[in-house]
Amino acid sequence: MNADGPVVNVHVLFFAKSRELANTPRSKVDVPTKITASDLLDLLVSRFGLISIRDNLILAHNESYIDNLSDTVLFKEGDELAIIPPLSGG
Amino acid sequence: MIESEVDSERSKLKREIAELRAALNRKEQCLRELEVSVHTNARAEQEIVGNAVESPGGAVRVHTKLTNDDIARYSRQLILPDFGVQGQLKLKNSSVLIVGLGGLGCPAAQYLAAAGCGRLGLIDYDEVERSNFHRQILHSEDRCGMPKAESARIALLQLNPHCEIHCHSRLLYSQNAMHIIRGYDVVLDCSDNVPTRYLLSDACVMLRKPLVSGSALKMDGQLTVYNYGNGPCYRCIYPVPPPPEAVTNCGDGGVLGAVTGTIGAMQALEAIKVIVGLGDVLAGRLLIFDGSSGLFRNIRIRSKRPNCHVCSAQPLITELIDYEMFCGMHATDKDNPLQLLSTDERLSVKNYQEKLQAQPHLLIDVRPTAEFEICQLPDAVNVPLVEILDDSYLKRFGKQLEDKQLPIVLLCRRGNDSQIAVQHVRNRFPTHSVRDLIGGLHAWTNIVDPSFPIY
Repeated sequence: MNADGPVVNVHVLFFAKSRELANTPRSKVDVPTKITASDLLDLLVSRFGLISIRDNLILAHNESYIDNLSDTVLFKEGDELAIIPPLSGG
Repeated sequence: MIESEVDSERSKLKREIAELRAALNRKEQCLRELEVSVHTNARAEQEIVGNAVESPGGAVRVHTKLTNDDIARYSRQLILPDFGVQGQLKLKNSSVLIVGLGGLGCPAAQYLAAAGCGRLGLIDYDEVERSNFHRQILHSEDRCGMPKAESARIALLQLNPHCEIHCHSRLLYSQNAMHIIRGYDVVLDCSDNVPTRYLLSDACVMLRKPLVSGSALKMDGQLTVYNYGNGPCYRCIYPVPPPPEAVTNCGDGGVLGAVTGTIGAMQALEAIKVIVGLGDVLAGRLLIFDGSSGLFRNIRIRSKRPNCHVCSAQPLITELIDYEMFCGMHATDKDNPLQLLSTDERLSVKNYQEKLQAQPHLLIDVRPTAEFEICQLPDAVNVPLVEILDDSYLKRFGKQLEDKQLPIVLLCRRGNDSQIAVQHVRNRFPTHSVRDLIGGLHAWTNIVDPSFPIY
């Protein structure tokens, strides 16, 4: 992650278990305009205390699933990230 | 009539009604058993003659016409241009397996039976109990203790006697899953645990069955259709199971019946769309329902994962595995007692009541506040586990905690969280007496005070 590059502010939505762990349904976070998905995931995990569900969540950028952790994600100001762990109850 | 006569007449009538109801239940059970055995014999004969469909319990004949009763009963959906007579016939010739007759399975089964699905299979190992009623709306007070599949069957036949219903009142696991699932066209995952979700996904990939997967907890719901068209399977999305401590079940986290009802009804809708070939099936998309804000969202999820262990062109897993082992969890939503502490580090409820309750001590109930408000022991103070773990309790009890002679007793609902709390508090105060109540409030009700409420 290039700490000196340009940064934008994006919305983060938390669902299910991640909402409990982050202790909020939504937040905002500064992210680099260009970042690999795995670095993005690490940033969110450490910022919001999501370590216990790191490997078991859907990370969606503007309502699209981020397929591959080695992909590069490009951000614009005001983009939306959603963190969606599985629910198993019924 | 004087008041005492009214009372005795009332209890006499209540008793007689209860006896009649029990007799009625017994007769109905006999009738069901008779019908099942007649049905099984008839099928065995047809198999000998050789005109039965291959699948176990498969549809023996194909309906090509609607009856007058069908037309009257389904008129409001028959006139839907996209559904029509062909849609109704497809539904009448279809079979759907519903796994779990709980908060999701009840409404899903209800809408499918009502809509005229020809054959429903119901799987549930569990029995009806009082804590089910708020969301499992096919079950009723007089069927407490009955297998859930049987109870659901009774309610569904009242709704639509033309629906053929097969009950599988046992746990679905690797050894019986393929055999049971093979006989159905579509599978609904209405289960409540992670191992069953992986088991159903793998089995449905192997048998090429669409899997309509719903889940719900608290105020949240999720819905998608796996293994349909180019869409992914459960493993494509979640290749590794979550750690057991990150999984909350409805018994611990709570759930609102209208939330499971919303998702269950939508599972029925997706199953109907798959069967009839109607609209855009929710595959490759995950619907997320946030009941607290009333928001539905659709997330585009991936297509098949090219290296998926099960559904890719070169699968590594080609037969069912041990899913409880794979997930490190049981295939039920029942709790397993934690054993973090040895017995001498803990207190039985009896011992607490006899030896300590009347003495000076600090009794800390570590349940969430909403649960503490339901019921609490005398003199208990509520400090939710999170406030123990983040040490914010220290400020509140600073003075009392200085006294090393004051025993600290921690408790919770079942004696699991209280052990975690003991470990944490003892690290901070190694010379204090810090123990917890074995079995928690459930043990208190069972052993000390039967009038104490249980939830």
